[in-house]
Amino acid sequence: MLKIENLHASVDGKKILKGIDLTIKPGEVHAIMGPNGSGKSTLSNVIAGRDGYEVTAGSISFHGKDLLAMQPEERAWAGVFLAFQYPVEIPGVNNVYLLKAGVNARRRHLGLEELDAMEFMQLVREKARLVELDQAFLSRGVNEGFSGGEKKRNEIFQMAVLEPSLAILDETDSGLDIDALRVVAGGVNKLRSPERSIIMVTHYQRLLDYIEPDVVHVLADGKILKSGDRTLALELEKRGYDWVREEAAHA
Amino acid sequence: MPDIAALRKQAWDAFEQAGLPTTRQEEWKYTSLARIGSTLGEAWWTAADPASLDDADIEALAIPELDAWRVVFANGRLIRGATHLPDGLTLSPLSELLTGNAQQAAVALQWQDDAPLFNGTLAANSALAEDGLCLCLTDGVKLDKPVYMLHIAGNGGASHLRHGLWLGKNSEAHVIEHYAGVNEEPGLTHAVTLVHLGAGAHLYHDRLQDESPKHFHLGRLHATQGRDSMLSSHAVGLGASLSRLDLAVDLAAPGASCILNGLYMPTGRQHCDHHTQIDHSAPHCISREHYRGVLDGRAHGVFNGKVVVHQGASGTDSAQSNANLLLSDKAEVDAKPELVIHHDDVKAAHGCTVGQLDDKQLFYLKTRGMSDEEARQMLTFAFADSVLTGMRVPAVRRFIEKRAFSKLPLGADAEAMLG
Ligand SMILES: Nc1ncnc2c1ncn2[C@@H]1O[C@H](COP(=O)(O)OP(=O)(O)O)[C@@H](O)[C@H]1O
Ligand SMILES: [Mg+2]
Repeated sequence: MLKIENLHASVDGKKILKGIDLTIKPGEVHAIMGPNGSGKSTLSNVIAGRDGYEVTAGSISFHGKDLLAMQPEERAWAGVFLAFQYPVEIPGVNNVYLLKAGVNARRRHLGLEELDAMEFMQLVREKARLVELDQAFLSRGVNEGFSGGEKKRNEIFQMAVLEPSLAILDETDSGLDIDALRVVAGGVNKLRSPERSIIMVTHYQRLLDYIEPDVVHVLADGKILKSGDRTLALELEKRGYDWVREEAAHA
Repeated sequence: MPDIAALRKQAWDAFEQAGLPTTRQEEWKYTSLARIGSTLGEAWWTAADPASLDDADIEALAIPELDAWRVVFANGRLIRGATHLPDGLTLSPLSELLTGNAQQAAVALQWQDDAPLFNGTLAANSALAEDGLCLCLTDGVKLDKPVYMLHIAGNGGASHLRHGLWLGKNSEAHVIEHYAGVNEEPGLTHAVTLVHLGAGAHLYHDRLQDESPKHFHLGRLHATQGRDSMLSSHAVGLGASLSRLDLAVDLAAPGASCILNGLYMPTGRQHCDHHTQIDHSAPHCISREHYRGVLDGRAHGVFNGKVVVHQGASGTDSAQSNANLLLSDKAEVDAKPELVIHHDDVKAAHGCTVGQLDDKQLFYLKTRGMSDEEARQMLTFAFADSVLTGMRVPAVRRFIEKRAFSKLPLGADAEAMLG
């Protein structure tokens, strides 16, 4: 469903992604791990379509379509979702209004009838329960005054409502205490399905205790240096990233 | 008995001597009145013909679903008064006082001992105002619904209006001044409101300037606040080709507080100027001021917020902010907070920003499926709306939101966004 080939991207002329290859099949969960500054968020942002990143080479195809040619909202309609590492606060824009606009824009795009207010509220309440999000948060401004953990929970709640076919979770685990992590991971697990693929960007292998990945990749210096199964994450936890770099340098 | 005719002449002479303000004066640096003169000529001074408006015309312009005592002015003359007033509230038209009660008329026009009010355009208003509303509220009376003043400007000419709001001790009122227009003829509205708040009085004051795009608007609100009184003002500038609002509040006795919130949204070639001044003349007064501007097209906005902390005003607590959003690179804003402090022990903060929509927020909304245009509208709306959240009556806020939104490119979708 997602095929990234030889992706190079720069910001302000600075090369950050230096040839990423990544293929994800429907239903798969891929973990991307790597040191700070290695380009994980950049990759996430480029997939979601953020301005300011110049793709200098390579391609991304999603369900056979050229993702890089699409606007961020078109990507959302096509089923891409990004849970942000740092979700922004948008005072004055109501959480539920945002989601309703998003869901209905997508439904229009797919030729489906829009949900009316009643149907939508029903959907929203059900999904809020899934991530144990207090109903009071629904009517607040987007992330307005939310704690770090609440913001992350809100991201997963949005994912649940928008039902993407590809979800990128950019360090959704960081800043969560162990109880919150369990809830968020539980929510993500409930959203796993044979049609939905997930990219989990994380520093810590502890998230992988809760959400079992199919593949683990190491991203360092703008490249995927190594891919493996779940045991790779455990090894990274024990040995750090340098040995991967060295191994790659000698390959 | 004051001789009204003589006083009028005196005011006119004072005006002739002072002349119209020019851009050489600091207070008028960014706003030239020359355009009014060149467009209107003699009509600057000539009262507009009385307009004939029927109920349907009025309803079409009025804020819907607003339960209020409604008073309607057309071209500067009272055409509909309010009835069924409660005890303690009087609403007298200035036109009646001018012929029937010189004493009160003189107070409404504030001739006495108030030389500064003779300056510039204010003197012209004193000389020319033919009508207005003098609201008197007896001590302790609290109104349970607003007084709604709808002003309709039509077929050219000038409307010089003088309103007075006198609130007795511990009384409470909500007054809405709404300036609307019906046609495309250029004309002038020149409206001055004088406010006196007795000790412990509360006034909620909403001012919406939403006149037709060729009109000129000069507005003024002077408030003097007694001990522990409270003024909550919302001033919104949407209409007119050129508009200027001078808002001056004197926190004249201990414990007085004011909240001044404002929004201006000039588009096209509109010029919209808000000058505010808060005088902390007494100790332990609180002022809060938040003004926001949304500027599109080739519009020009001006905000000047002066806060003066006078000697002896211990325990002053003042905060002011002004933020501007430029939707077009041809739009322009001159924004200046001005803090003048003559006393030590004060808490005062002010800040002023000019910017564009936040890229991070835009991207966030789009990743959730909002179109670029919709996301821009939504953020613009949220930016503007934040100064209206404290408005007291939902029908008024709703109306202002809709009118404001209709000025944005996707205005037609306003209803959907407002939910
Ligand atoms: N908008 C930007 N402007 C300038 N540099 C950036 C920007 N975004 C990322 N970078 C740089 O790109 C590199 C990769 O950053 P990022 O993708 O955030 O890494 P990670 O998420 O793996 O920690 C870092 O050196 C960072 O400073
Ligand atoms: Mg990152």
